[in-house]
Amino acid sequence: MNRSLFMGGIPGTMSRRGFLRACAIATAAMGLPMEMVPKVAEAASDPKRPSVVWLQFQECTGCSESLLRASHPDVATLILDLISLDYHETLSAAAGKQAEENLEKAIERGNYVLVVEGGIPLKDGGVYCKIAGKTAVEILKRAAEKALAIISIGTCASFGGIQAAKPNPTGAVGVSDIIKDKPIINVPGCPPNPENFLSTVLYFLTFKKLPPTDKFGRPLFAYGRKIHDHCERRPHFDEGRYAEQFGDVGHRLGFCLYKVGCKGPETYSNCPVIRFNDVEVWPVSVGNGCYGCTEPNFWDTMTPFHKRLPNVKIPGAGEGIQASAGKIGKAALGVTAAAVAIHAGVGIAKRLATGSKSEE
Amino acid sequence: MAVYEKKYVWSILLRLFHWTFAPSIFTLIVTGLYIHWPWTNTWLEGSHQFTMATMRWIHFIAGMLFTCAVLARLYLWFFGNKYERVWDFLPITGRNIKNLFSTLLYYAYLTDHHEERLGHNALAGTAYFFTILLAIVQFLTGLYLLYPEGSIFTSIGASLFGTQQEARFIHYILNWYFAWFAMVHIYIVVWNDIKHPEGLISSIFDGFKFAKKEQ
Repeated sequence: MNRSLFMGGIPGTMSRRGFLRACAIATAAMGLPMEMVPKVAEAASDPKRPSVVWLQFQECTGCSESLLRASHPDVATLILDLISLDYHETLSAAAGKQAEENLEKAIERGNYVLVVEGGIPLKDGGVYCKIAGKTAVEILKRAAEKALAIISIGTCASFGGIQAAKPNPTGAVGVSDIIKDKPIINVPGCPPNPENFLSTVLYFLTFKKLPPTDKFGRPLFAYGRKIHDHCERRPHFDEGRYAEQFGDVGHRLGFCLYKVGCKGPETYSNCPVIRFNDVEVWPVSVGNGCYGCTEPNFWDTMTPFHKRLPNVKIPGAGEGIQASAGKIGKAALGVTAAAVAIHAGVGIAKRLATGSKSEE
Repeated sequence: MAVYEKKYVWSILLRLFHWTFAPSIFTLIVTGLYIHWPWTNTWLEGSHQFTMATMRWIHFIAGMLFTCAVLARLYLWFFGNKYERVWDFLPITGRNIKNLFSTLLYYAYLTDHHEERLGHNALAGTAYFFTILLAIVQFLTGLYLLYPEGSIFTSIGASLFGTQQEARFIHYILNWYFAWFAMVHIYIVVWNDIKHPEGLISSIFDGFKFAKKEQ
């Protein structure tokens, strides 16, 4: 899609037409009927822009990076026209003491939407992530007090993410494990699709409440359906055509990536429909299986990424030895078959030796 | 020479349960392993073959029958005849605990003594009890995987097992458990049938066992 469709003549601004188009896309992404577009546009152009405070903890800034590449609307429109971004460590012009003052002022004013990016470490008093001398958990609790609602952007803020993967050395958790008394919505992904974040914000602006969610706190409009059921490679799955390994004929012909470990059948997200960054691609469309990055604990449960199921640690063999569940199943079956054969052999031998019958 | 008499032990519903459960397990293991690793790879495009879809369809039908069988057995745990009820064979009474250990010794060829009883012995009963519990886990994870969006099974599955991937992992491991159980079960049943004239194998067809007549 051409970026200029959304832009006005001046760089970084948006034409009325582009603005309405952006609202229409967001409305469609939210699963709302087209009659809602004017409402969404009205909410989005409200001169009283909502204040947004964006906190970053244990993160890689990938979620912010992904947002920078959003175009419906682009990030300049988002932070200049739609919302008032009062604090964002990466994007704000202020730095150091001045930036911290901005945060303090925004918190005192209250009535803001709090966006959290990154996991929050709790172990050893939370010392593993500190900003301006304060621990992440302190900053989060302080900022959450006066927040209208909290949006956890990315899998780290939603569920703890990579730092919460076993053995979780810093005791990292997601926002909803700490804050219990505020409406919280999770927009997971590694990174999440910026459209889903923007649609969540617009939904909140339009209806003054957060959208309905699933069991894991994810908005249903974006995470209500499985990737597998919307995948363009699904016919190959049903008909039994799979890439056996990367680079083989099946892979080049665009067959299903199930056997190279695609986690589409276990993952909820609208990636196949919304796709990414104006170039209309998503991982499966470019030949790599889904990694399941929108699911809780995906670093533990979806790895190895190119196998169907996680390995099983062999109990008693220390940390090192792992095997696939199938191997362990076969081994257990084999050992039992051997045991059965020995048992039967002993029975026969015993009878031969004693010559006795157990029943008269 | 001991005199034996015919005793009615297994009701029609229990036998129906067994003969639904057993073939469905066999079908589920074969199709389940196929779904986990579809080894027949057809690279023919535009064909009429729906290999994976067909395997899944068979798996789902067998899964429904499996679920019905488990529900029937659960009913019989509480409302079946004397031999089918759960407290007849679980090691919760002194008699059954004693039977559990004596059966273990007997199966290990360490003693020739064993208690004659018409229903399950306590060891078999305990194994069947846990198998039914695992079967419940298996059909719940299965229904969660089959109905992943907005159903009652979705909320039950998500709260009990977590994500789809976690449920799938449990479902896959239990597939191996049932393969293991089938093997051990068939061996021990044949072993018992050879050692005793009670007619164990035929009892699951006609419901009758043979017991020594009191003289």
